[in-house]
Amino acid sequence: MGNFIGKRSLSSAIALAGLVILVFFLARLTGDPTNLYLPLDASLEARADFRERHGFADPLIEQFGRFVVDVLHLDFGESIRKARPALEVVLEAFPWTLRLAALTMAIVLVLAILIGSIAAYRPGGVFDRLSSIISLAGASAPDFWVAIVGILVLSVSLGWLPTSGVGTPWHWVLPVGVLIIRPFGLILQVVRGAMITALSSAYVKTARAKGVRQRAIIFVHALRNAMLPVITVAGDQAAGILNGAVVVETIFGFPGIGKLMIDSILQRDFAVIQAAILVTAIAIFLMNLLIDIAYAMLDPRIRHG
Amino acid sequence: MTGATTRPLAAPDAALPPVVNPWLAALRLLLADKLALVAAGFLLLMALCAIFGPALLGQPANAMNLRMRNAPPFDLENGWLFILGADALGRSILARIVVASQNTLSVAAASVASAMVVGCLLGLIAGYLGGWLGGLIMRLADVIMSFPSLLLAVIVLYMLEPRVANLVLVLAITRIPIYLRTTRAEVLEIRERMFVQAARVMGASSPRIIVRHILPIVVPTLITIGTLDFAFVMLAESALSFLGIGIQPPEITWGLMVAQGRGYLSQAWWLAFWPGVAIILTTMSLNLLSAWLRTATDPMQRWRLEQGGRRPEWRSGG
Amino acid sequence: MRSYASAAALSVLAAALLAAPAGAQDRAVTIVLPEGLDIVDPCHVSRSNIGRVLKQNVVETLTEIDPEDGSITPRLATGWEQLDDDTWRFQLREGVKFHDGADFNAEAVKFNIERMLGDAIYCEDKAKFFAGTDLEVEVTDDHTIDVTATPPQPILPTLFGTIAIGSPNLPTDELTREPVGTGPYVFAEWRPDRDIVLERFEDYWGEPPAVEQATYVWREESAVRAAMVAAGEADISPTIAAQDATDPEMDFSYFNSETSRLRISMDVPPLDDVRVRKAVNHLIDREAMIGTIFPEGVVPAANLVVPSINGHNPDIEPYSYDPAKAKELLDAARADGVPVDEEIRLIGRLEVYPNATESMEAILAMLLEGGINASLEMVEVAQWTDLATKPYAEDRPPTLLQSMHDNNNGDAVFTVYYKYHSEGAQSDTDDPELDRKIIEAGAATGEERTKMFQEIFRIVHDDVVPQVLLYHMVGFSRVHPRLDFTPTLATNSELQLSQISFKE
Repeated sequence: MGNFIGKRSLSSAIALAGLVILVFFLARLTGDPTNLYLPLDASLEARADFRERHGFADPLIEQFGRFVVDVLHLDFGESIRKARPALEVVLEAFPWTLRLAALTMAIVLVLAILIGSIAAYRPGGVFDRLSSIISLAGASAPDFWVAIVGILVLSVSLGWLPTSGVGTPWHWVLPVGVLIIRPFGLILQVVRGAMITALSSAYVKTARAKGVRQRAIIFVHALRNAMLPVITVAGDQAAGILNGAVVVETIFGFPGIGKLMIDSILQRDFAVIQAAILVTAIAIFLMNLLIDIAYAMLDPRIRHG
Repeated sequence: MTGATTRPLAAPDAALPPVVNPWLAALRLLLADKLALVAAGFLLLMALCAIFGPALLGQPANAMNLRMRNAPPFDLENGWLFILGADALGRSILARIVVASQNTLSVAAASVASAMVVGCLLGLIAGYLGGWLGGLIMRLADVIMSFPSLLLAVIVLYMLEPRVANLVLVLAITRIPIYLRTTRAEVLEIRERMFVQAARVMGASSPRIIVRHILPIVVPTLITIGTLDFAFVMLAESALSFLGIGIQPPEITWGLMVAQGRGYLSQAWWLAFWPGVAIILTTMSLNLLSAWLRTATDPMQRWRLEQGGRRPEWRSGG
Repeated sequence: MRSYASAAALSVLAAALLAAPAGAQDRAVTIVLPEGLDIVDPCHVSRSNIGRVLKQNVVETLTEIDPEDGSITPRLATGWEQLDDDTWRFQLREGVKFHDGADFNAEAVKFNIERMLGDAIYCEDKAKFFAGTDLEVEVTDDHTIDVTATPPQPILPTLFGTIAIGSPNLPTDELTREPVGTGPYVFAEWRPDRDIVLERFEDYWGEPPAVEQATYVWREESAVRAAMVAAGEADISPTIAAQDATDPEMDFSYFNSETSRLRISMDVPPLDDVRVRKAVNHLIDREAMIGTIFPEGVVPAANLVVPSINGHNPDIEPYSYDPAKAKELLDAARADGVPVDEEIRLIGRLEVYPNATESMEAILAMLLEGGINASLEMVEVAQWTDLATKPYAEDRPPTLLQSMHDNNNGDAVFTVYYKYHSEGAQSDTDDPELDRKIIEAGAATGEERTKMFQEIFRIVHDDVVPQVLLYHMVGFSRVHPRLDFTPTLATNSELQLSQISFKE
């Protein structure tokens, strides 16, 4: 296991480096921020001066060289927009999103596994049909639509919850509530499907023949095998929140990394884009590592390759 | 998907019942599940809309009439085209939904299909062969997963044009990892199962093992995810429009219609509501149908359809 | 504010007891802005999102421009006179202190001007108003300065209404994150991910304002900003979309000094023919879009500046909606071999104003109706700025570019050079005669200046036709009923807390 983690960390580090290089060049294909940053009326000289000052006038490869040297000194550059270190900006935003993702996924997993298992117990039954239809309808509703309607109904008309922002635990209810819907619908389906397969497979039948009580069959034997695809899909969804809860963060004025990312992308604030991607990528790589370890723990037959 | 209906995928440890005409059998199984039947009907209707809609209703979908701005739904005075109301430029919402189905469904279908094929292939390689190539593929998946789809969208749509084909490219790339990781995870597990080991011992070639033994188990899972992803892709496309980096007018998609209508939620809910309903109904139909397909093609489960789903066999024995 | 109220109210109360002086609670306001602030340096106040928080609240200007008529009134300067063509003398207010205790005096003003014009930091105010201008400041006595401008600036007092004076203790080599000024409010706290808090400055030189504390937060969606005021979480949302302004109790519309238009790429056939440009103008039904896509209250424009700006010409009429005339013009052009049927690209900028996309869809429909072979593309702001500023792409297609111009600085000079002079960063014109007139008008003063600018607007409108003018725009604010506050022309770029009072 130790050997596995060591190897994996090395290959992950190489992949991270590749990602950073990819982002550096691809982001710069979308134009430089000069025209965006300067007032429209700025003269050609002012623009040239700005490019010079921030090094956008140099050949791309030279800019990249500077970037590499800086990164090796753990300097991720300065945000042009915010005139402060990019990493500082990112580390301010990241914990918000991390908490949002953790809270959302915890609730989703508990709900989806519980309801999915019950549904799989009798496929095609009333509970199965009902839970499927409701969760699917929710999961296919556009999140910004749900979010705005949620604010209009729960905050303005009923006055139960704050509209937006952060501060009290109540402020988390709407954003988390909106974020839950989609992964819940998706993971519920995966749990259900995997459980139906697992329940009809040979080893569950064997377990039943041995006389283990039915509830134990479902929750130990079947669930254990059904967990593989569930964890994979949950990881995908968690990654989606980590680098993409943009809509929810935008609407609720939630100061997370998604909002920071979209703003930086639209403003071509390259240093922030790079730092943000690096931080979220590390988080996602770590999560995928944990998932692979979980595979091995769930199913000891799986070798680490 | 239709290929799968006509030639049921066989689980290796179950014998196929004799099938006279696979199409007829499929139809019989479909008739047994009313909900799936409705879903299939709806999808057929949507497919017809997507094929013939733009030709039939393209003109009314783009005819501006500012006096009809935000005209409410269920008012037949203005003709049946306005049964769902009119949008902010006084265009028939019904006509626009029908016309937009072409873009919407082709973007979603093309994105999901290409992501599924590419992801499944790479996942098979990574899972079955493993080794350095497998590791490389998995790290590639990590890179794609950590590469924000928004940035990808901005890059592609800035460098190329914000056209439908380029949007498919963006959405397909971002969806590859889920298929890749799912396939690999399943392959890792199946590879160790008794029958695969047995086949290997008996000298079956790797491609044969993959096609005969592994794919039949992997594909149903992928299809489940794929039908769910269909919704995800439609919504992702909508979110991109919301953020101002997706498809833009004069092109129309359901997602764009919802994004444009959101500003009017408090006065004219129908602008965003009907295209949202179209997305929801399509997704649900696809999922109902895929659940049916999963059951119908699984010999262990097919009895549920054949016997009306009333006899949970394995429980009655206990 | 019901069931979650108990917990929330307790924590708010606790915070209030700890942080604010007693009684501040009901004299505090919360303002919800459409975007947050990235920087807070006083030399950036001409950027509207920064000015809205800082200008005249934390930092003040020497002169103040009355947005309603463009006249100049004293603020930190009490008087001014022109000594000769190049030099102006300003008398400074006495007995004014900065929040950090430093004295406001001639040296402080000199420090600020030099800090802004220097090369060590980038200042928006310089780029916007003093690019290519050199100012030499001479301290005559403690409260008098003589400012010499090269080239001469006949409207220097107006220009000084756009730059803010910060404490002489501000760093000269970097942008400050703690702006210190002379204004009625102290910059108390800035959490860049969440909010900004201003607190009343008790030693302010002027009338103490009614608001004791102001908290600024930001939400991007108009519907959310409107909801916050409706739910009592915020007191003022300076801008909301017209469709969210549904409550006459709380919602105000106001002219916001912006003018919308389509810029025409005049150098590309067929748009290089004035008849085609006029035809396009005649094809836009400006009345039909009022009260539908554009809110009630917008006024079809014939000038690129609003009526309160010096130089606005009230005598020119917007182009009429006249498809027959347009057809005549197009036919005549076609007869002369102009490639009238070439595809013309309408390029819109997403969210440049509320309903920007819909307005472009409507215009597209009108142009197609009128026989123009138009197509539409909506782009995000970065792509738009690349298209909107020189140098233009060599092979650009014939283009109608959606844009909006905001001038609330009192004088047409801030508009005409950049938009109509052939050297202007965003001009589409190339007309030596017009260039000459623009330079002359910029150097003129008084009535003559007004007349010359009016003449320029007439020529541009009637003869040059580099644009399709649409409307003088209106904005919408939502203000909680407990406050007495009316938005003005200036609300887009400044929001003076001292103009807010409480209804009892």
